[in-house]
Amino acid sequence: MATLVQIENLRKEFGNVRALDGVTFSVESGEWIAIMGPSGSGKTTLINILGGLDTPTSGQAVVDGTDVARLDEAGLTRFRAEKIGFVFQQFHLVQYLTALENVMLAQYFHSTTDEGEARVALERVGLADRIDHLPSELSGGEQQRVAVARALINQPKLILADEPTGNLDEANEQIVLRLFRELHTEGHTILMVTHAHSIGELADRRIDLAHGRLAHKV
Amino acid sequence: MMFGRLLWKMLRSNRGRLAVALVAVTSGAAVISALLNLQFDIERKLTREFRTLGANLVISRGNALQANGDSSATPGAFGSPTLMDQSVLGQIERMRTPDVVAEAPFLYVVARAADTPVVVAGTWLDQISKLDPTWKLGGEWITSREDEAQCLVGRSVAQQFNLAPGGQIELGYLGRTAKLRVAGVIDAGGTEDNQVFVNLPVAQSLANLRGPEGQIQFVQLSVNGTATSISNYAEKLASSLPAYDVRPIRQVTEAEGNLLAHTRLLILSMVLLILLLTALCVLATMAALAMERRADVGLMKALGGSMSRILELFLAEVSVLGAAGGLIGCVVGVALAEWMGRRVFGTSITPRWDVFPLTIAMMVGVALAGALPLRFLGKIRPAVILRGK
Amino acid sequence: MFARIVGQSFARNPRRKMLTVAALVVGMAVATATLTIALEVGDRMAREFRSLGANLLVTPQSDTLPLEIGGVDYRPVDEGAYLQESELGKLKTIFWRHNILGFTPFLDVPTQLAGSRVTDTTLIGTWYEHDVPVPDGTTFKTGLGTTHPSWRIRGRWFRDGANEAVVGMTLAARDPEAFAIGKKIQVTHSDGVSSAASLEVTGIASTGGAEDNAILVPLSFVQAYSGHHGQFRQLYVSALTKPADALADRDPKSLTSAEYDRWFCSPYISSISYQIEQVIPGIDVRAIRRVAETEGRILSRVSTLLWIVTLAALIAAGLAVAATSAAAVLERRIEIGVMKAIGATNTAVTALFLTEHLTLALIGGAIGFLFGAGLARFLGASVFGTPASPRIILLPVVLGLAALVALIGGLIPLRRAARFDPAPILRGE
Repeated sequence: MATLVQIENLRKEFGNVRALDGVTFSVESGEWIAIMGPSGSGKTTLINILGGLDTPTSGQAVVDGTDVARLDEAGLTRFRAEKIGFVFQQFHLVQYLTALENVMLAQYFHSTTDEGEARVALERVGLADRIDHLPSELSGGEQQRVAVARALINQPKLILADEPTGNLDEANEQIVLRLFRELHTEGHTILMVTHAHSIGELADRRIDLAHGRLAHKV
Repeated sequence: MMFGRLLWKMLRSNRGRLAVALVAVTSGAAVISALLNLQFDIERKLTREFRTLGANLVISRGNALQANGDSSATPGAFGSPTLMDQSVLGQIERMRTPDVVAEAPFLYVVARAADTPVVVAGTWLDQISKLDPTWKLGGEWITSREDEAQCLVGRSVAQQFNLAPGGQIELGYLGRTAKLRVAGVIDAGGTEDNQVFVNLPVAQSLANLRGPEGQIQFVQLSVNGTATSISNYAEKLASSLPAYDVRPIRQVTEAEGNLLAHTRLLILSMVLLILLLTALCVLATMAALAMERRADVGLMKALGGSMSRILELFLAEVSVLGAAGGLIGCVVGVALAEWMGRRVFGTSITPRWDVFPLTIAMMVGVALAGALPLRFLGKIRPAVILRGK
Repeated sequence: MFARIVGQSFARNPRRKMLTVAALVVGMAVATATLTIALEVGDRMAREFRSLGANLLVTPQSDTLPLEIGGVDYRPVDEGAYLQESELGKLKTIFWRHNILGFTPFLDVPTQLAGSRVTDTTLIGTWYEHDVPVPDGTTFKTGLGTTHPSWRIRGRWFRDGANEAVVGMTLAARDPEAFAIGKKIQVTHSDGVSSAASLEVTGIASTGGAEDNAILVPLSFVQAYSGHHGQFRQLYVSALTKPADALADRDPKSLTSAEYDRWFCSPYISSISYQIEQVIPGIDVRAIRRVAETEGRILSRVSTLLWIVTLAALIAAGLAVAATSAAAVLERRIEIGVMKAIGATNTAVTALFLTEHLTLALIGGAIGFLFGAGLARFLGASVFGTPASPRIILLPVVLGLAALVALIGGLIPLRRAARFDPAPILRGE
């Protein structure tokens, strides 16, 4: 299998605080990686850098042949639109857009909108009857499934999920996790931040962070 | 397609907040357009007010004067302006513009009434109330300039000869007499209180200056307009009446010019202050509205939206707000200006349509300026915005 | 604790406060400036209107009919009544003496000229700059400069009491050589009673009236020349007045004593006329209606207009401040949510924020007043030529206004924030 993500000696400093202190690892295409560690260990920072939401202080983060650290603003924007699908703990749906429009928003920024495709994506996550609902009319689990549909709509190389079940109850957690399992089976590459061991177990590999360093690799 | 759909959703998203912003823009635009309308109209309104000062142009033979031998009681006595042919009236009449409020020839004769000398002014009696709108009258105005049986007398004359409307006065001059009915008593609050006003033919008959080539002494005009437009009109008159001297009555025109300039400057500076303040107010509201969208901006950046595409959405949103508020505000502003016009001048304000695009452009400009802080979000990493700090 | 929270809030987040204060400063500066101008405009404009010249005309009470055309009286000198020059000082003793800006007496006499192509003309005796003794021991300098400001001169005006003359423009044009500046002109009395006198021409005047066809000379010269020592026929008075209203036009005899006091103590043209008639018996004081009425109308229009504009400024200022206050409160919803979550009552939260707001309002209002004072000075100077100094009475008014708008602006969102449950606010919804 080809290496999709290659991270070399990645550092990120916020003022005096070292969020990442020389992290090196690689991810093969089609792998599901769980990134674990206590609060403040640098998990979110790592994900943000990989997703082009933040830039590292030094080091390399190559995703699908592109070094994120070297991209300029416009390059990062294209990178996010074309290669990355994000799923956030807080869902981050646009409150005044329907489920369908939230998915279409990602299409809009990527290239052109295709309403039919967006419908299919929502049907896939089991929201066929929720297509025209606003986020406020959806449960947390449903909102997160919209977010997953949105993350997938542009066929990203890499799905980044930051505690996707952190704000969900048990039942919804299961639904969302089942979705991620399906994605994994279909061959998507997933990097998921979590601190629940039960979820970490589902992944192919775990990367443990502590104080910005790799603590343990499985 | 998607752009329009997103814009529509954004506009509908937070109706409460949007309403507040719209109210701010609308009231700002209303105040601005009302004041601009007023500002543009004020000069016209005020110059009209100044017409109560009376005539502001005099046409006479001016410097081409002749000495008149008979010093006791002839029209040309005491070096008063020399006579001129009344045919000039026809020429002036042909050049009359709607700005000419009133026009009247004058011929003064110092006649005798019951052996007392009295100044008799021969003029067009239908014009004098327009020439001097502050005159008060007991009795009736004379509405025809051909009426040779009636006259108006000044307050002091009425006192002196014990006259009341309906009474009789007999004027005599060098053997010629005119018996006239007093139609009204004028309270002019000036030297006119000492005069008797008759129609021009009566005075000409007394002075033996009547006929097809009847004589007058000067013509007074009350012309509406700014100092420049009045002097332009005076120049036009002067060039077509080369034999005559067309002179603005300086006391009136100069004071008028100064006062107008000061009043306009005063109102203008106040209007500018309010303009600035209103713009600031709208700016603050729009900035607050825009800043509420910062989380959306962060998310859209995370989804791969470029700053220019994101900004175009939000700028379109505030532009629509600015334009809508501006348009409604302009309509409200015209009503407001109308009210102010009625309150202040007692007449309506003529709405200036060029105020509309000006105000709307200003509102859109201010709204865009208010949304400008969003631009700075482009420099911030989306991770930071999403974290919500 | 209350003070500590407010104090900390100021110390920790000065920048956010800056915006509210800035809005208050701008808003209150505009309010101060417009109020100052609006309060002063009546007085200023009234002064401006004096460029129209005199607005009161004083004549003897039992007079024969003046033969006046265009401001020059053509009556022979032995006809009609006269006024006493010595009484004029009394004008500066009336209640509204400071509103009497100037007065000029006139005495016209027909004359004949020797050595000129023009034989007949009128001598107008008047003052250009004359020192009038006032009963309180001071002197008052007045003359044509204040009552007839639109008159222009080439050369210079005659000196008071000198044998000098200023020739009207039209008259001068009839014999430019005889009436050149520096030339002597010989005048003889029409009836031949007085001996001839010689006058030096010092200037050519242009008045736009009948005076352009006459010769202006010092009053004392005409008095001596015509034998009417210390006398004159007409007095033009320029007085600062207040536009007439319902009270001004009523007959003073029909007023109740309270109304009479108010009438007497308002600078209406009618009350000033009345006061002049009281100090100089035997005279008739009349408002030159054309001037007085135009002035009154325009004055009341401009001041109404200005008050409306001021009102608009106040509303705009209020809106600006209220909008920023509201934004400031909205920004702190989370803080309010936390406070409520740990058990603060609505009253406590509201009191806390309002105190903070009031403090801001007073600071912003005070700074705004200072800026507004500067602005008013500048506006006054650029519009009327003299700076308008704000009245200190405006300070409490402006501070109160600032407090009011800040409270209204803050209270509405605060009430809304207080009504909601803390939970959704904390969740960030």
